[in-house]
Amino acid sequence: MAYLTGIGITAYGKHPGLQPLDLMEQAVLAALADSGLQRDALDGLITGYATTHPHLMMGTVVCERLGLKPRHAHQAQCGGATGAMALVLARHLIAAGACRHVLVVGGENRLTGQSRDDAVKTLATVGHPEHEVPLGASIPAYYALLAARYLHETGANEAELAELAVLMRRHALGHPLAQLRKAITVEDVMASKPVSTPLKLLDCCPITDGGAAVIVSAEPLAKAAIKLTGWGEAHTHQHVSEIPDDLGLGARIAGAAAFETAGRKPADVGLLGIYDSFTPTLAIFLEALGFAPPGGAGRAAREGRFGRDGALPLNLHGGLLSFGHPGVAGFMAHVVEVVGQMRGEAGNRQVRDAPLAYCHADGGTLSSHVGFVLERLS
Amino acid sequence: MSGVALFSCRACGHVWQFRRAMCPACAATDIAVVEAKGGGTVWSATSVHRAPTPDLDVAGGYGIALVTLDEGPRIMARAPTDLVIGERVTVRAENGLPTIFRA
Ligand SMILES: [Zn+2]
Repeated sequence: MAYLTGIGITAYGKHPGLQPLDLMEQAVLAALADSGLQRDALDGLITGYATTHPHLMMGTVVCERLGLKPRHAHQAQCGGATGAMALVLARHLIAAGACRHVLVVGGENRLTGQSRDDAVKTLATVGHPEHEVPLGASIPAYYALLAARYLHETGANEAELAELAVLMRRHALGHPLAQLRKAITVEDVMASKPVSTPLKLLDCCPITDGGAAVIVSAEPLAKAAIKLTGWGEAHTHQHVSEIPDDLGLGARIAGAAAFETAGRKPADVGLLGIYDSFTPTLAIFLEALGFAPPGGAGRAAREGRFGRDGALPLNLHGGLLSFGHPGVAGFMAHVVEVVGQMRGEAGNRQVRDAPLAYCHADGGTLSSHVGFVLERLS
Repeated sequence: MSGVALFSCRACGHVWQFRRAMCPACAATDIAVVEAKGGGTVWSATSVHRAPTPDLDVAGGYGIALVTLDEGPRIMARAPTDLVIGERVTVRAENGLPTIFRA
């Protein structure tokens, strides 16, 4: 009963002078135009947060800016999983009969709206204030700890992880809205500056300005009916110090629930939109979800499994690693791409027919997982 | 002893680091503060080359590790930059921060 009926996105990269609300507004106007809905049809809104514009009530701030008078509005916060969480929440609002058309929107000038030091410092405070942040840890450091553990457990190596960065860049090359569009090789990734071992600069997603919006409706509209048929969440810990020994546990729980509620299995999937804040993030998810063998995500990428013509096309817009990561809108770009591909509107990036897709995001350090299944019904 | 404080559940014996009034394993509320003996095994380690604040930037980076203490909990600590996963180490509070030394 919940359909993704409108998608809108800005260019990702640098938007000097544009504030989070400007970027969100651009994305919403695009999503409204895409859906064919009039503004007054939107009776629900879930927005994310913006680190460059912290506000206690971003939901109503966005409503005021856009002139919306919804029956429900609020601001969701779940780190990198916020957009995915908001889409699942929108589905629940519709299932409950509370709303008919819920606008989900995120946008932030994370790149030009603050200094690089401020961005890194803000993100680092996601760590435990007493037991992690004082050690000088950062988000890349937290993921580096997980990356090192992943490599240790699986026997995969850094060059294999680099394949995922190369793949994401290859996918971004042809996308006019992507932030990073210069081809890279495994050697480039390996030679890029160390950020936090074993992560090099090109294992990490960039900081980005951008906005994205998705409309979730109780009915399909003029375009192909893309139904959200299954969803799952897992919240296994918050801080990396308390992550379960099994790095893929949360992804597996959320993924299993999503497939169970959809009445589908991973083998039914022909298209993927998977969160890729760092190369090991993507590897851990692909393997936990059963889309690659343990330790084999990088090799599978090299062999073409996740390419446009492969068995499981993945993040065809370039993912966070190359399309860019402006916070809440980061993963929403995956959704915009997946929906566009499922509709057959992806132009020169278009995959063969893809009627069923799986999307997955995490917030924190593999802390909060949200997975969902999308199916095209017409 | 290490100077690193932990919490221990008097009902089930589970030990952890973060302050909480209820045992995460069994939900009992009879909790004791204990001091880690200091022995542990490296669960993961990294050398941070881009610090979150400029004053922390160190040439060659500085080490941070997750170490599984012999009492059970995994904690984050400052560390040498070249630790190997599985290595036996000693943890001791230095300037208020858990710090790893080679055993
Ligand atoms: Zn207990």
